[in-house]
Amino acid sequence: MSSDTISELDAHLEEAKKRIMNMPEVPMGKLPPHLQRQRTRVFCNSDAPTNTEGIQYSGAYASMGVDNSVRLDQFIKNFKVEVIQIKHHVDGNVYDNFMEFDMIGIDAALANAFRRILISEVPTMAIEKVLIANNTSVVQDEVLSHRLGLIPISVDPRLFEYMSENDTPNEKNTIVFKLHVKCTHGRLTVRSDELMWLPNGSGFTVETDPYSDKKSKPKTYTSFSCSQDSLPEFSDNPISLTHSDIIIAKLGPKQEIELEAHAVKGIGKTHAKWSPVATAWYRMLPEVELLEEIEDQLAEELVEKCPVKVFDIEDIANGKKRATVARPRACTLCRECIRGEDWENRVALRRVKDHFIFTIESTGALPPDVLFTEAVKILEDKCERILSELS
Amino acid sequence: MEHGSIHESHASTFSLADEDHTLANSVRFALNQDPRVSFCGYSIPHPSDAKVNIRVQTTGDPANEVFKDALQDLMVMCQHVRSTFEKAVVDHKTTSESFENMSIDSK
Amino acid sequence: MDAQPEPVSYICGDCGMENTLKSGDVIQCRECGYRILYKKRTRRIVQYEAR
Repeated sequence: MSSDTISELDAHLEEAKKRIMNMPEVPMGKLPPHLQRQRTRVFCNSDAPTNTEGIQYSGAYASMGVDNSVRLDQFIKNFKVEVIQIKHHVDGNVYDNFMEFDMIGIDAALANAFRRILISEVPTMAIEKVLIANNTSVVQDEVLSHRLGLIPISVDPRLFEYMSENDTPNEKNTIVFKLHVKCTHGRLTVRSDELMWLPNGSGFTVETDPYSDKKSKPKTYTSFSCSQDSLPEFSDNPISLTHSDIIIAKLGPKQEIELEAHAVKGIGKTHAKWSPVATAWYRMLPEVELLEEIEDQLAEELVEKCPVKVFDIEDIANGKKRATVARPRACTLCRECIRGEDWENRVALRRVKDHFIFTIESTGALPPDVLFTEAVKILEDKCERILSELS
Repeated sequence: MEHGSIHESHASTFSLADEDHTLANSVRFALNQDPRVSFCGYSIPHPSDAKVNIRVQTTGDPANEVFKDALQDLMVMCQHVRSTFEKAVVDHKTTSESFENMSIDSK
Repeated sequence: MDAQPEPVSYICGDCGMENTLKSGDVIQCRECGYRILYKKRTRRIVQYEAR
């Protein structure tokens, strides 16, 4: 090959390189719009959702010269929380205790970790042991105990300690309630407000060996060193149940229930009765886009199609009407609007992958916003535990 | 507990007792966005054993260090989430309170 | 027969009246004639797990 041809080839290559770099498709440190959309949105098509996966790997777009790693400062800059509403009130039988907030700029892995911790790892107090002295009702002892266990107690669990297997019940790890009801005539409905808090611990004495020393003080089922209502945290707000109208049992004439219920601290992983939330869930923000102008007849059809009224009609010039997306947040992604011929070409349904609408319904032990901060703390503690184990 | 080899420190499996998807998936996420990681994944060998195995392979750095950094990052992220959240709640409470006062005044 | 048949008290399932019966007696409440009678429960404390 002559040197002429080589230099000719070089010049040709240079030319080609220039041309490639000037093409609009080549990203300059940025993803082309269609890939950016696939990265940040879930597409809700009429048959199935696509692009559901989160693209986490730092080198996912390395071949295009785009860095997909997320640095901490970037996360801190982009992360946002917007509280939508916090409701906490008791109005007769209607009990509201929930909050809704938006978490923006966080991965599903973390959002899901918070949700899982809220449900199964934030502690509360719940009835665990039931000592039944008398129960002549038709509700069997086992069923009655199970029902009592599920009653939410309105007390801050952070004021108590866990009770391990060979601990004795004391004022720091146990709350004692007493239930003594008797039906004189007719029918009696026993509700949760009949459960009385015993700040001094158990009132039942343990049956002891009759031959042992009779002068010693009779032993009860708990050993409280002081009364709980003398402690500063309970002196002006006595421990009570979240709801006073939960039906525990129904009694017939002369039927009687006499029992003591001992509540201890635990987590939802062990048993759902310790779960501090009725439920905690999130959904990704829906995104509704009209791909073309939808006018007149079709606009009305579209408004009619949507069961949650996402679309509105606006009047445009010369008596024409046009469909608009008015309330995308209300969309449940039922996909009614993209059903039928051609509708999928007119409307696009998507979800924003890093925008979570989080809802927490508390059972009453702690307010929902405190529950969330507790859940985040628990994840931090987990990291800390592993770090200390590794070093 | 860490299972690695003496000759190659860039690949290890970490076996965490009493943990589940909650921590493992979060750590996997934190590791995956670190450019030093070439592979990372986790598994729960048996659903009735409270244990997860997290596999970390790096481009050369010791896996142990990279794993610890991921946990540190996760903690910093959690702290930031918490402070942002608490601030948002306080903001919401003050604005809704002032709104309530306004509506009382207008009556 | 070696032992004297001991009277046992039962609770009526309908009116809650206490009835004392010996073996051989008709199983029926003296108050209301209801034929389902229950044995009395022990006074000893029984402990259950609330699960």
